[in-house]
Amino acid sequence: MVSSRWVPYLFLAPAILGLLVFRLTPIGIAIGGSLTGTSLMGDVRFVGLENFEVLATDPDFWRSLRVTLIFNLIINPLQVVVAFTLAMLVFEPGRGIGLFRTMLVLPMAVSTGLSAVLFGLFLDANLGPLNGFLHWSGIGAQPFHRSEHQALGTLIGIATWKGAGYWMLFLLAGLYAIPSTVHEAAAIDGATALQRFRFVTLPLMRKPLAFVLVADTAINFLFFAPVYILTTGGPNRSTSVLMFEAYRSAFTFTDFGRSLAISTVLLAIILIIVFLQFRLLRSPEDRA
Amino acid sequence: MSIIRRHFLQGAASLAALGAFGGAQAQGTTTLTVPWMAWPENQVRPLMDVYEKATGVKIAEERLPIDELFKALEVRLTARNALPDVYLVDGPLTASYAIRGHLLDLAPVVGSELGRYVPTTLVQGTWRDKLYSLPLGTSSQLMFYNKKLFAEAGIPLPSADPAKRLTWDELLEIAKKLTKPAISQFGFTFESVNPYQLLPLPQSRGVKVIGDDGFTAAGYVDSPGMIDVMTWYQQMYQVHKIGPVGTFQTGVTQEMFGANKLAMFIGGTWNLVGFAKFKDLDYAVAPHPYFAGGKPITPTGSWHIGINPRTSQMAQAQAFVKWFTTRDTMDLWFNLRQYPPSLKQIWEERAKTTFVDPAWAIVQHELANTATPRPATPGYREYESFLKIAMQDIQTGANVKEALVRAASSIDREMRKYR
Repeated sequence: MVSSRWVPYLFLAPAILGLLVFRLTPIGIAIGGSLTGTSLMGDVRFVGLENFEVLATDPDFWRSLRVTLIFNLIINPLQVVVAFTLAMLVFEPGRGIGLFRTMLVLPMAVSTGLSAVLFGLFLDANLGPLNGFLHWSGIGAQPFHRSEHQALGTLIGIATWKGAGYWMLFLLAGLYAIPSTVHEAAAIDGATALQRFRFVTLPLMRKPLAFVLVADTAINFLFFAPVYILTTGGPNRSTSVLMFEAYRSAFTFTDFGRSLAISTVLLAIILIIVFLQFRLLRSPEDRA
Repeated sequence: MSIIRRHFLQGAASLAALGAFGGAQAQGTTTLTVPWMAWPENQVRPLMDVYEKATGVKIAEERLPIDELFKALEVRLTARNALPDVYLVDGPLTASYAIRGHLLDLAPVVGSELGRYVPTTLVQGTWRDKLYSLPLGTSSQLMFYNKKLFAEAGIPLPSADPAKRLTWDELLEIAKKLTKPAISQFGFTFESVNPYQLLPLPQSRGVKVIGDDGFTAAGYVDSPGMIDVMTWYQQMYQVHKIGPVGTFQTGVTQEMFGANKLAMFIGGTWNLVGFAKFKDLDYAVAPHPYFAGGKPITPTGSWHIGINPRTSQMAQAQAFVKWFTTRDTMDLWFNLRQYPPSLKQIWEERAKTTFVDPAWAIVQHELANTATPRPATPGYREYESFLKIAMQDIQTGANVKEALVRAASSIDREMRKYR
């Protein structure tokens, strides 16, 4: 007869095994692999921090780092704000609101890769409908992802188009979780809509917002598919995010040491930023 | 036994039986796994069908688009497994695969047949005097032009005589007259934007594109001569606007030519087959242009086939590769893709039939006089990747010098592993 003390751990075991195999082991391999180099004939040897030293003097890496940070600095707040705005807009019941909610969430059904291909055609300089419309309306055709000044913005736009609906769902659930009695009490006390938003909605949305921000940040730091499909890091390295550099090092140049070193740096950055986000979004009660 | 447990065991037993049955089937026939280019199925399957029917060996070709093919090969070869058995080798990458032990020395396999080959076609498959990959053909480029658009503009048609080929300046002038933005018509473009297509530009001016050791890009890829030529190239698209900017997807430039939206197009001989599907297209060919005062240079080199030394089916792999030296196979392959043949026999047999076409007269001249293979270096993957990105950036308007300097330093960084 199994002692009842061990039963909870047995129930946890599959989940922990999954965490170990699919999360911790690859991270361990990545960090360990970043300390190795491979010879032409495939022999792996330990090289210590050499890969990181080479990265530190590599202008391509610093460029990637800058592009990744700028990309995330813009897209994370942007997506959260857009998702929140959409959630607020579709929160109020009304005729056809279900239709709007569905349409906003629909981009989620398209895979990231496919949406990149579709936008590639949609935004094409010669054949794309958007440029056709811009030309007709007098604004003039735009190069979008073929211009080093517009490419990053274009990718931000595509990612937001795809992700806003998805995050909106979480925030919508958060809005629904706020008891209507609290809103009514505030209204009775004479609060305007704006005051209700600031003093009732926002504080009570702290946890859903924290979740969305942290999850979105982690996903956006790993942004890859549209870069690979649409811009291959260009034009002029303007969209060369760290994930793409890591991919190219591994699969075009089979320089796995460098690729894993970049992945390790990316992991460290994400951990730091997520930690900071959690600290900043702690509610006052937790801080005590 | 409980009902659920009984059903589970029954299901498992039937799956196991199916598996064993399937396994027994597979043991009967050998299958060769062969990564291949994503050419249209009707240009690949007929070839493999012939081999399958003749020998009973199944060929499982995986047709992958060019970028995916290279990446898939890198991943699989780096794993140093028994797969793939045989694979398509991009000519200039032979050295890169050979130096890392991914190709079998083919001397014992096809050594006796090499005398039947056009000698220049074997060059790219050779590394340190050993043949590691067998050429399936070579390549050459032609200038295709739209007779209707020329007639409408009243411009005399370019000559098909290699001695009278256009200079780049002449082509520029003609292209300007044939560019009509109002109807989305362009005067000229290259089929693709990559080193294979564009290195002839600096080479025509005598610019060296890589160091003699085969590993140094700084001072060559970013030399003043290279910057000059690539600036001229950029101006075609950004200043004179004679071609579509940023069109890098394969096939789009071909479609534009087929739709009568492009007056002049420099592309490979495979277009002689590919353009047949455009019923409204009336085209002719002329030789590849050159820089006045320089030498005419044309791209060359094509796909080869090689054997993974670790294959578990060595005898069948070798037999398959040897089959590609036969006259019938190469003749069928020519019918399918029209790559200039690497076997002398095909040239001789068709001298009075296929090759009387003016296009082939030009091709023969180019192959004998102007064809210049790409730089021979084990670091060709690295060299080509960065230079291709630089060329695409330059076409879309990046600062030429910066793009080339950056490409050179990135190439040199990745070449460290070979020095």
